[in-house]
Amino acid sequence: MIREKETTLYLGPQHPGITGNMMVKLKVQGDTIVKAATHVGYLHRAFEKLIERRNWIQAFTLLCRFCVPEPDPMELTYARAVEELDNREVPERAQYIRVIVMELARMQSFMLWYAGQAGSAGLYTLGQWSVGDRNYLLDLFEDLTGGRIYHMYIWPGGVRRDIPEGWKDKVLRTMDYIEKRLFDYNQIMFDNTIFQKRAQGVGIIPKDKAIEWGVVGPPLRGTGIKSDVRIDEPYEVYDKLNFEVPTFEGGDIWARALVRKEEIKQSISIIRQAIDQMPEGEYYNKVPNPMKWTVPAGQAWAKTESVRGEVGFYVVSNGTNKPYRVHVKGAAYTHGVTVLEKILPGQNIADVSFIMNSLGVCPPEIER
Amino acid sequence: MENDKNSQKIVDYIQNFARKHSIFVLAYGTGCGAIEIPATMTSRYDAERFGIRGAATPRQADVLLITGYLSTKTLKRVIRVYEQMQEPKYVMGFGSCTINGGMYYDSYNTINGLDQYLPVDVYINGCMPRPEAVISGFVKLQELIQQGKAENGKKYRENLEHYRTNQKKIIKNWRMPDYNW
Amino acid sequence: MNELINENNLLKKVATAYNIKGNVIRDRRVEVFANKELVSSILLYAKLQLGYVHLAHITCIDWIEEGDFELVYTIWSPVERIHLFVKTRINRVNPEMENIDGIWDQANTYEREMREMFGIQFPGLIGEHEFILEDWDQIPPMLKEFDTHKYASETFFTRPGREDAQDVRETLSKRSGTDVPDFAKKYSRET
Repeated sequence: MIREKETTLYLGPQHPGITGNMMVKLKVQGDTIVKAATHVGYLHRAFEKLIERRNWIQAFTLLCRFCVPEPDPMELTYARAVEELDNREVPERAQYIRVIVMELARMQSFMLWYAGQAGSAGLYTLGQWSVGDRNYLLDLFEDLTGGRIYHMYIWPGGVRRDIPEGWKDKVLRTMDYIEKRLFDYNQIMFDNTIFQKRAQGVGIIPKDKAIEWGVVGPPLRGTGIKSDVRIDEPYEVYDKLNFEVPTFEGGDIWARALVRKEEIKQSISIIRQAIDQMPEGEYYNKVPNPMKWTVPAGQAWAKTESVRGEVGFYVVSNGTNKPYRVHVKGAAYTHGVTVLEKILPGQNIADVSFIMNSLGVCPPEIER
Repeated sequence: MENDKNSQKIVDYIQNFARKHSIFVLAYGTGCGAIEIPATMTSRYDAERFGIRGAATPRQADVLLITGYLSTKTLKRVIRVYEQMQEPKYVMGFGSCTINGGMYYDSYNTINGLDQYLPVDVYINGCMPRPEAVISGFVKLQELIQQGKAENGKKYRENLEHYRTNQKKIIKNWRMPDYNW
Repeated sequence: MNELINENNLLKKVATAYNIKGNVIRDRRVEVFANKELVSSILLYAKLQLGYVHLAHITCIDWIEEGDFELVYTIWSPVERIHLFVKTRINRVNPEMENIDGIWDQANTYEREMREMFGIQFPGLIGEHEFILEDWDQIPPMLKEFDTHKYASETFFTRPGREDAQDVRETLSKRSGTDVPDFAKKYSRET
């Protein structure tokens, strides 16, 4: 006999625990969730309609703002799709620089993830440390590209300008510093009984249904399935670099946090190898008059591994100087709507924010 | 009992001094500019030495920080949140999208200027503004408070008809509570 | 060539089972063209028999001159690591397409968005009508005939520019007393 009646709660757009500007509508009985529905649309800017009004190079100003915590994978995927349509080669030095930029973007996004994940469990110290150290990585970006958050640095054909003098040494020094600090972060978060008891056994994604539901990225590697775009379909120079893809069993929040903890260490190792192996040479395969550049007609699909999972761009061209259709798939499209609605029933209200942070739900990616 | 002019000046000075050194910002990231707020509040660009910290609900907040563009769906919720805040209350427009629409000027879903729908005290320009720019915006707000010029809560209450006509032009399904406190 | 053996095998299996055309675009990309009635059967066959268990993306392209929508279903196999595109065309006036909600759950989200943005009807699709937009009363906004600039300038307030707004190059050359340099004359929209 059920004694409590069902109430509807709106974990609405203005809430200190929710990741971004979205709403989760919950039907609860007491403290247990019975049904969940995601409502998005608060951040819709009609990107795909706006890109059809800009030409191929002007679209880069819009692309960075698709997913706000990690703008670089979007630029790289669009550049790769346009290079496939235009049959344009990228020089090798540019490929190494692109790999370094992607791994730095991955690291700075994980630093922000530390703040969100630990903050929703009540461990606020970790957020102050990791976001404070993230500023060193943003300083590296500012030396290279001129901006802290939105870079617009990766163009079809290479990168926009060469690396400045002394940048490589600065990167290596920053990597040494962050490697020492990682020990402190992991001790606060992973040796902590509060975090362990809250994270183990909560928000489980079953292993046999994970790929069918469309789970990608660190949540998929947290269920025990080894799948990463960098080894499934290697792009740029990832096939020449030596790195591992960590996987852990369990499918709960604990396993996903362990995956991300190991991935930062792998990123540091990739950056060190790439700086070591980088050749001299050209950095840009020049596009003739970028404002009037036309791309031959066709359709292309390119995908890369962003911080949250796989990011894919479907680009259609009809031979003019403006894109005909650009359709973006972010990892949060399936994580935030389908997977969240399937794993929330049965959990407590206090765990909603915790689960959303571990899945990596980012609303600007869902509704563009 | 009314104070005479000189003692009113002293009372105002103390009142504004207290208000400007404890500004509570509502925890609401409305747009893409919200990515520089964690950086402003943590160790390198520490905004808490100015007295700025986060507040969880609108009833406890002083400042509504509109970080970036506003879609029409969010504008309806922002108006409701703004009307729940107690006076004195301030609005800061963050980024160039609040000034003239920014790079989304031709989008069918984003508004082009915040001034028509809510009264704004300080604009911070940039895309997006650096943490130093954010702190300089807060310092300008502190100067306005000290001089007694940040009275936009009263301006909203007195010109309610003007703001309501503008808001109802773009929000079609108007089912919101009346503003009568 | 060695890499394209799997792709050619896949194309042969699907094309002979359904008597449809297709081609191998490059390594790891195969496309087939089908009528709209065969699409859900091809997807179910690929998922259950060939191991293509991951639905990556569903796209809709608006070809306004030819008068139809093109739908592209992208699926992927974790074993063979090949992307298979199933492409079909539906009519642009009163468009209707079959609902593949039962094969993959995440197709529900894609179809709700296409119903809202393009106006395509999916009989049997259960989900709230408003996914992204709220109280929208114009034509579906992603169609090519919807002019977003005109709608935005009529609905929203536009702040006028400064009265003394000049071209940047002329202002700088006046201020510094030199001519406009050569590199600034070339990359311009007029020349």
